[in-house]
Amino acid sequence: MWRQRAFSVEAIRHQWNRCCSSASSSVVLNRRKSFELLSLQEVEKILKDVRADDVKVIPTKQSQSDFTSFVVVATGKSQWHVRNIAQALIYKVKQKQTGAKRMLLPSVEGEEGGNWIVIDSGSLIVHALDEKARAYYNLEQLWTSKDSTNEQTQIQDLGQAFVKVRRKNNSKKPAK
Amino acid sequence: MIQPQTHLNVADNSGAKELMCIRIIGASNRRYAHIGDVIVAVIKDAVPNMPLERSEVVRAVIVRTCKELKRDNGMIIRYDDNAAVVIDQEGNPKGTRVFGAIARELRQFNFTKIVSLAPEVL
Repeated sequence: MWRQRAFSVEAIRHQWNRCCSSASSSVVLNRRKSFELLSLQEVEKILKDVRADDVKVIPTKQSQSDFTSFVVVATGKSQWHVRNIAQALIYKVKQKQTGAKRMLLPSVEGEEGGNWIVIDSGSLIVHALDEKARAYYNLEQLWTSKDSTNEQTQIQDLGQAFVKVRRKNNSKKPAK
Repeated sequence: MIQPQTHLNVADNSGAKELMCIRIIGASNRRYAHIGDVIVAVIKDAVPNMPLERSEVVRAVIVRTCKELKRDNGMIIRYDDNAAVVIDQEGNPKGTRVFGAIARELRQFNFTKIVSLAPEVL
């Protein structure tokens, strides 16, 4: 259900249209299988080529957050480096679709700043951060610890919900 | 339906506790803001010893509204409170964690950063 940018080759950059993929999940799944903007191997190779530090791939399938299946976190040395990581990934997507009638591009967020750039291609989200932002937001801790703790708390909550507790009867005063 | 003078809870650990909307960003005479809209807000209440203080003017993204959010497939989402996440001019969240459930529409409005910090996505 993510929003993708459709890009016709003739049109110049600011005339981008956006098209929403359809709402029903089965259609989205089929589309994902047939066509993927970026695959995990490609992303890993690009990140290695542009020398991104400390690349971590976190699969999120088992957790209940079903909005994406892989999260990739990478660190850049400076703001320029972070921006270059993002540019390299976008360039790869464009290169993959050369000659296509309409190009599909992932949504990119935070490109002006360069502290934290997110490239969201549906089932794969790439976070490129500089060192400060990486330490500050601590994404991998959030994503790795969530799988175990969240489910446990949910089960506990459910257990509590089904236990019947008899209420104390305060209406009658104890006989003295 | 958030309009100027609406009070909102803060759904992150930035240090602010309560916001008041003073302006909706987007159009010149816009009346109401919904989920995914950016507002200008004043901090009405803050946690002591944090970078954000009372009566500071910040930008925030609305993440939960009492007003129902309708989806194309007929699903309706309605929360118990109005809540927002404090962001800076570039769109980076000021806090490091987002609390509570968040609608996946935020991802379509290009707030993937907030969605990726959230514990639960509806």
